[in-house]
Amino acid sequence: MASVTYKNVYKRFGDVIAVNNLDIRVDDKEFLVLVGPSGCGKTTALRCLAGLEDISEGEILIGDRVVNDVAPKDRDIAMVFQSYALYPHLSVYDNMAFGLKLRKLPKEEIKRRVNEAADILGIRDLLDRKPRQLSGGQRQRVAVGRAIVREPKVFLFDEPLSNLDAKLRVAMRAEISKLHQRLQTTFIYVTHDQIEAMTMATRIAVINKGILQQLDTPQNLYDRPNNLFVAGFIGSPAMNFFPGKLRKDGTKLLVDTGDFSVTIPPKHAKSYESHAGKDVIFGIRPENIHDADFIPPNIDAEKVNVKVDVTELMGNEIFLYLVSGKNTFVSRVDPRSKLRVGQNAQVAFDMDTFHIFDAVTEKAIR
Amino acid sequence: MNSTTSKPLSPVTKALRWFFVRSRGDSPFKTILIHATLIVASIIAVYPVLRVVTISLRPNDTLLTTSLRIIPENATLDNYKEVLFGAPEKNRKSDFFLWIWNSFSIVSVTSIISMILAAVSAYAFSRFKFPGRAVGLVFLLTTQMIPAGMLLLPLFIMLAQLQMINTALGLIIAYSVSTVPLTIWTLKGYYDTIPVDLEEAALIDGANRFTVFTRIILPLSTPALAIAFLFSFMGGWSEYLVARVVLQKNDIYTWPLGIFTYAQQFTVAWGQFSAASVLIAIPVMILFLYSSKWLISGLTLGSVKG
Amino acid sequence: MEDKSKLRRLLPYLYWIVGLLSGYFLLNALISPFAWGITLNLGIVLKRLGEIGGFLFAILTGLALVEIYFYQIFFRQPSNPRSRTTIRGLQYLLGGMTVLAILSFFEKTDLFRLGDNVMAGIVHLPLNAFGGVRSALTGIGLAKGAAGAVSGIVFTLVLVGIFYAVHKMSVPRVSKLGLPYLLILPAFVGVLFLIIYPFMFEIKLAFSNASLGTQATKNAEYGLIYGWQNLVTLFTGTVAKDAKFFDVFFRTVLWTVINVTFHVGGGMGLALLLHRPMKLQGFYRTLLVFPWAIPTTIAAMALRNEFDSRYGLFNILLTDLNSWLVSVSQGTVNVPLLGDAFNWLASNIGPVSWKQDPFWAFVSILISNIWLGIPFMSVIILGGLQSISQEYYEAAEIDGASKFQMFRNITLPLLRPVLTPAIILGVVWTFNKFDVIYLITQGGPQEKTDILVSSMYKAAFQFYRYGFTAMFALVIFVILLIFTLIYLRASGGLKSATE
Ligand SMILES: Nc1ncnc2c1ncn2[C@@H]1O[C@H](COP(=O)(O)OP(=O)(O)OP(=O)(O)O)[C@@H](O)[C@H]1O
Ligand SMILES: [Mg+2]
Repeated sequence: MASVTYKNVYKRFGDVIAVNNLDIRVDDKEFLVLVGPSGCGKTTALRCLAGLEDISEGEILIGDRVVNDVAPKDRDIAMVFQSYALYPHLSVYDNMAFGLKLRKLPKEEIKRRVNEAADILGIRDLLDRKPRQLSGGQRQRVAVGRAIVREPKVFLFDEPLSNLDAKLRVAMRAEISKLHQRLQTTFIYVTHDQIEAMTMATRIAVINKGILQQLDTPQNLYDRPNNLFVAGFIGSPAMNFFPGKLRKDGTKLLVDTGDFSVTIPPKHAKSYESHAGKDVIFGIRPENIHDADFIPPNIDAEKVNVKVDVTELMGNEIFLYLVSGKNTFVSRVDPRSKLRVGQNAQVAFDMDTFHIFDAVTEKAIR
Repeated sequence: MNSTTSKPLSPVTKALRWFFVRSRGDSPFKTILIHATLIVASIIAVYPVLRVVTISLRPNDTLLTTSLRIIPENATLDNYKEVLFGAPEKNRKSDFFLWIWNSFSIVSVTSIISMILAAVSAYAFSRFKFPGRAVGLVFLLTTQMIPAGMLLLPLFIMLAQLQMINTALGLIIAYSVSTVPLTIWTLKGYYDTIPVDLEEAALIDGANRFTVFTRIILPLSTPALAIAFLFSFMGGWSEYLVARVVLQKNDIYTWPLGIFTYAQQFTVAWGQFSAASVLIAIPVMILFLYSSKWLISGLTLGSVKG
Repeated sequence: MEDKSKLRRLLPYLYWIVGLLSGYFLLNALISPFAWGITLNLGIVLKRLGEIGGFLFAILTGLALVEIYFYQIFFRQPSNPRSRTTIRGLQYLLGGMTVLAILSFFEKTDLFRLGDNVMAGIVHLPLNAFGGVRSALTGIGLAKGAAGAVSGIVFTLVLVGIFYAVHKMSVPRVSKLGLPYLLILPAFVGVLFLIIYPFMFEIKLAFSNASLGTQATKNAEYGLIYGWQNLVTLFTGTVAKDAKFFDVFFRTVLWTVINVTFHVGGGMGLALLLHRPMKLQGFYRTLLVFPWAIPTTIAAMALRNEFDSRYGLFNILLTDLNSWLVSVSQGTVNVPLLGDAFNWLASNIGPVSWKQDPFWAFVSILISNIWLGIPFMSVIILGGLQSISQEYYEAAEIDGASKFQMFRNITLPLLRPVLTPAIILGVVWTFNKFDVIYLITQGGPQEKTDILVSSMYKAAFQFYRYGFTAMFALVIFVILLIFTLIYLRASGGLKSATE
């Protein structure tokens, strides 16, 4: 049970800066997810914490202890690898007991812990098998089990679900969340799948090119992304972006994309006034673009003329791929929508939930 | 399918086609050809070996014969008896067991030493980056270019200075690193195929570098270690030249030197020479043939990636 | 319940005791009737075990000391500035002692000579100190062996004491580099003493006139001029008795090329035949590795036997073939052409003098070595073939490739990683292949089947031309090195292996 702190941590591989000035404090019992695109340094950040890489600069603390020079085995952490890294020559039982045996725990204690973990994970029947006799999902459970029995202060996961099929992934996601509630320990979890991040995390750290972009709760990340990268990375389908200009037309403040312009409702306009005349990027999520025939009540709708390019029927909703001049964008509309491919139509932007970013700094304007 | 040759084929043509042509797999003709080739090759491989057995079974008076029979007329085990237990009637004792013991004790110790040296340093070459690594690996390969016997003279002088000529220890020293360079390469190749993840998992689980090596790497490379040991053992087991130089007394002879005493006697004792050869070769060959399946995988594992 | 489990725990020991006893009695019963003729006895066995045990102990202690020493250099740092000087001093002392001990070993074994000056005194200090303790102990009445053992123990204790002192006064230090060096150290020590050191010695010998006349290295003189003389003799004079360098060199090249060609060709052929699903595959495979499985010494001697002019297999077969041809030619005397043909065959094919005729003698060693070497290659190539995924062939088949095209465009390129090292090592080993020639023809007749290494061996151990031999060996080594470098450059193989 411990907090984890990265203090201005750098990790360089030759010229590559894999981790760039990472500064995070993870509270005790928190479930922190590190997300980011491939190659952004998530694994490296995790491995630095585990002690598998030396950090180039900065400090890492587990609890109150600086662990820069502490060997992995003495950091009191457990890690689940993407490849699971089960020892092929040991049975499932021995795989799980390995760490405990090395720590010279009494035999009965080892047995108790392994059996308990096996029960939690439902792998009681597999204890005598060798890893190669297991399915992918079972291996994954064993890998988690190996971490649980250690009863460490901090759990580390490096994309543990990426080798599983979609259905199993959803199931395991729920199980890991449950596990976190049950164990009440600090979890640090790396993934590039933002749905995993959104569903499991108490807080998410979004990383790009080694740099921390935003650290916040899932809801805040979704509702108030700090910058263009976070806005585009979180949410699926991704937020639509329209490069344009913030223009003052009399008393009205509007965003002019060249093909169409939308008026910012006066109640929101205040924070943007000072930026009038600047190049900005206007962002709006697909679910906030509605079919003009099915506009929900009580929203500030701005109508835009579009042409329907592609439709994707998902059952409970429809994805429309729309074109307006040089802009293409997605909307997630009511399943009753009658819009068909090739049709010219009108959609409504919900002007209560939009985002505006500075085109130069890519920071959110608030 | 064959719309152009729609007229029915005669049975002979059909049979011939069946015999010679197949769209998939081998035709009977080809199968027969392959088996014939392999049988001839097998005979060539085995017959000279069988001839040794034949000669060992011949009675002493018909040793020299132009017969090609595999089991000779009047086959006898006299040669074996004399090789193993001597011949009281001729007042001749047998050193056979002594030679075997000398060979065995010397070669097993050298193999164990060279295995330990190679297994440990191959791990360093496989897993760590350090100045001198590439140079070291190339250097190890270069040692293979040193001609046999080139190091013999200095080695001899060195052993003579240490008063180790005619001792088992002298030969053990002379042998002990000769297979190390190649074994390091083989084992390094094998270690390279073991995922680093496993070691890292063990490090987090509470192992130090040493326990990682003994509890993860070594158990996982048993096949490679077994093969390396076998090679090292086989190499020393039938080595002749170095032994010839280092050992010059009958009671310390290894068996390759020993069986030559049969060939050097005034009348070459081919029967006994062959009998001794058979006795020595059989266990070695059984071991070898038994492990040949591993040998194939072990020899190529290092060189073929992925 | 309690008693039963106790008994059960004792049972394994009981088995062992019964087994050992019965084995002993069985052995006695079987061997004692013949015991008169067997020279091996328990005493000899125990003595050897004792020797080996002591030797291993000595080696392990030595290595342990070296390892501990290096550990203290890499992984220890002074705990405070005050102890710094002491620790560094002790560390340098240990290092200096080690270096001196190695140097004085080299001097004692004649790698270089210091004579009787201060340098020599310094270099031999550790060993002399050891000797001093030893003779002092002998002086106070200990027998020589015991004195050696005791002084060894005293020295070890002193070393351990120093180690302990260093350990106490220092703190651990993180070192990423230290570990790999510690790991390769034992092998390095072995290679240093048994490969590098003899090699340096050989270089030194190459620049000397050491021979029987100089009592090997005892009265030998060293100098560049001798090296030059050796080199000149090598290329212009005789290499063993009569043979000239370039004759032998070209024979060696021929020997290597023919052998490796047949090894790779034959190995490839057999591997391709074996690498297909069929009956009896395992059976063939077993039989075909026979020549590799049988110890070379035995195989070579057996083959020498078969090249006997009267009773050897080859001449028996050739004689039979000849008499068959004679009888056929007699039967076909009146048939035009055919009769002449058989007559010609009958008078030209027959037993051969394998031992006297240089050409046939060379053929005989070629046959032997080819027979011995094919299985190894075929096993290697078969392994390579099995690692090639079947999917490539299926894809090629769909693309309409012929069997030969598949071989050229899939099999060969994918076998490269296996073939390149195998061929290089094959060439190097064959070039240096010595036992087969030595055992079958001894280079005869008239040194006409000698290759470079066997000439070299003769020059050393028959004609005692030590200095010359050393130069000879160096030249062979350089030739092989150049070949390997060229081959590797051409096939670009080494980089990937050492990464
Ligand atoms: N051992 C190494 N040596 C050199 N560069 C490295 C090393 N390990 C990682 N890198 C580099 O550091 C950067 C970050 O790598 P990292 O593995 O942390 O990415 P990641 O976020 O985990 O990506 P993914 O989602 O694909 O696993 C990459 O550019 C990578 O090439
Ligand atoms: Mg990663």
